[in-house]
Amino acid sequence: MIRISAPDTATAGEIIELKAMIQHPMETGYRRDSKGETIPRNIIKQFRCTYDGNIIFEGEFFPGIAANPFLTFHARATRTAMIEFSWTDQHGERWSEERLLTVS
Amino acid sequence: MRRLVALALLLSACGGQSGEYAQQSQIPPEAIQSGYTFLQPETQALQDDDFANPGFLWVDKGETLFNQIPETGAPACASCHAADNRPLSGVAAHYPVMDEETGKLMNIEARINACRERHQDLAPLDHESDALLGLTAYVASLARGVPISVNIDGPARNYYEAGKDYFFLRKGQFNLACSQCHNDNWGKKLRGDTISQGHGNAFPAYRMEWQTFGSLHRRLRDCDSGIRAEPLDYGSATYMAVELYLAKRAEGLAMESPGVRR
Amino acid sequence: MKPAAAAALLCLLVPSACNQASNDRLASPVTIVGDAVPAPLEGRQGDAQRGQQVFTSRDSGHCLLCHQLASLDAEFQGNVGPPLTGIGDRLDAGQIRYRIIDAQTIWPDTVMPSYYRTDGLRQVGEAYKGAPALNAQEVEDLVAFLETQTD
Repeated sequence: MIRISAPDTATAGEIIELKAMIQHPMETGYRRDSKGETIPRNIIKQFRCTYDGNIIFEGEFFPGIAANPFLTFHARATRTAMIEFSWTDQHGERWSEERLLTVS
Repeated sequence: MRRLVALALLLSACGGQSGEYAQQSQIPPEAIQSGYTFLQPETQALQDDDFANPGFLWVDKGETLFNQIPETGAPACASCHAADNRPLSGVAAHYPVMDEETGKLMNIEARINACRERHQDLAPLDHESDALLGLTAYVASLARGVPISVNIDGPARNYYEAGKDYFFLRKGQFNLACSQCHNDNWGKKLRGDTISQGHGNAFPAYRMEWQTFGSLHRRLRDCDSGIRAEPLDYGSATYMAVELYLAKRAEGLAMESPGVRR
Repeated sequence: MKPAAAAALLCLLVPSACNQASNDRLASPVTIVGDAVPAPLEGRQGDAQRGQQVFTSRDSGHCLLCHQLASLDAEFQGNVGPPLTGIGDRLDAGQIRYRIIDAQTIWPDTVMPSYYRTDGLRQVGEAYKGAPALNAQEVEDLVAFLETQTD
């Protein structure tokens, strides 16, 4: 499950706020289960946001990032284009969603 | 029968042996407060922010499922429960309720599964599955801010009394009853944690300890584990009864689901 | 016969004369004298340093959960129970022992668990059945530790 908060429209030059949350256990690999066995690491390793194909925000995630990671960042609206949010985990599995930003 | 056994035990006890039940105690109505008031400000802020509150991942999921036409072609939940027909806004504040068909007490999860079976010809959803948590979260979120008010008349009374029984029953290796912490010692500290009054008005909730979303039954299982008692099954009649007792005990508190808790 | 021995003999012959009782609901039998259990459990010798571990460790007694002990450099000490700072001045070993092993006999409504009790409990978790929350050695270690807590 993914939640995105992004404005539909903006004026050219306006600073917009973008928020992204993904459901993910972000299992650190340091916890043990009730039998004492280590629960294997299972984390997202990279988050990327592109605007009109250009990377505007990128983050490398490590086990210190909590489950269901939530990011807030800003961008400057320049032209009408797709904003794409994508996450890649340690196995290479990828999730993404996009939002169209209409700039006047 | 249980009362007779309890009385017999009390009478046969010698020189200060503790009985089966804790002392009947009650939080004065004017002192009833939500678990929200026991949270750190940062945690409260997390619950209050409709985007940052991770519980909304499940509310969104639930809303999607609610509006989705099942693969079988059966009606979507929304088609019966659309705005004017059988609106669900606020109903969660009055659960659990008696099911006329089976004569059993039902919480929201049980009602969702009953609806699936009876009106959509669908299999019940597993306890704590994202789908069931999502639908429960969505329905509960439609009652946000509504004061809890449940009916304990008629057949519901038996469940209420059974729930009350369990609340005051001493159990586990530590031989403690819920009331002893949550009626008698709320506000005191267990290491860094402040004991809350143990209300369920924010459930289903995102618990920091779980790092995920869960039902009230999951929380009750954790409570029982905490006093080294064997937890009961999800959906058990006893936990259902406890839900009703807790709801009556929390009467007047606003629903907060999806809540954020420790 | 020395007075102490005479008193002990009297206690054995006529338990009610000196407020002696036995307690059968614990992991091993104990004799209660007044508000104390004078004899170490299973005749064991307690170690105060190990006792501090039992007191502070989350995996063991974790007494800090509810009790404060000012001498300990541990953060966030609970206050559900009374502070135990200086407890060694107020209670003797036998009294401390009784309060740890079966507080619920002394004060029926207390939230203090009876740490040496095994009998007559309801719905005990599978992992905990058949054994007390603290074993005899852990109790003796705690008693030894708390005895050192004097002002």
